[in-house]
Amino acid sequence: MDLLTSSVATVDDSEPYTLVALAGEADVTNAAALRDVLEAEVAKQPQTLIIDLSGLRFMDSSALHVILKANRTMDRQGGVLALASPCEPVAKMLRLTAADQLLPVYPSVREASAG
Amino acid sequence: MHHTYRRDLSQVRALVLEQAREAGLTEGKANDLVLAVSEVAANTLRHTKSAGTLTVWHDKDEIVCEIHDEGMISDPTAGLRRPAPDASGGHGLWLVRQVCDQVELRSDENGTTIRMRMAIRPDAADGAAPPGRG
Repeated sequence: MDLLTSSVATVDDSEPYTLVALAGEADVTNAAALRDVLEAEVAKQPQTLIIDLSGLRFMDSSALHVILKANRTMDRQGGVLALASPCEPVAKMLRLTAADQLLPVYPSVREASAG
Repeated sequence: MHHTYRRDLSQVRALVLEQAREAGLTEGKANDLVLAVSEVAANTLRHTKSAGTLTVWHDKDEIVCEIHDEGMISDPTAGLRRPAPDASGGHGLWLVRQVCDQVELRSDENGTTIRMRMAIRPDAADGAAPPGRG
């Protein structure tokens, strides 16, 4: 069983977006796999990329760095990366690192897609 | 409790969570300790080629998690200042120092030992610990 699983969907809302859902635990041992998933989606230059964190029980600073790197690329491309529904431990970690000031964090995917 | 780890940080986190709950930490504090220990253990994987050891003990007042590995941290103040949010590294030890009540770091040619302490306050609400207590 993989510690971290991811699934990717393209959602055709009024404002289409790419949705990457993460589940499990994201740490230094699977940060490279996470980077591959995010880089592949960022390379398609979506206007909006939402990462659904609701299934993620744990995230460490290695996983955060991967997300922040994807965020920088999205910025350069003129797109937006948003995080949705982190559990409280993950939300706290985003606050302590001030990552929540670099990219928007929403309570749900619905709110993230509404911008 | 004594545990040797090489790669399985998920097991390290599960052990710490179990011990933290047993010691009587609130769920929020238990998760804080899990994050801290995981960040320190991740440094073992990043910076050494050998295994690390986790030792956990507690009494009624505090729970202590100690990580030892063969790595060396040349800067004893590592993690005392918050790195820029978009820095490509350095958030790990910052997080450790933020969430723990006390952190002791010893590092020399014999390796690095980091001791993380969390006070057990059954009546304490989750969230930031009040400064200067304990």
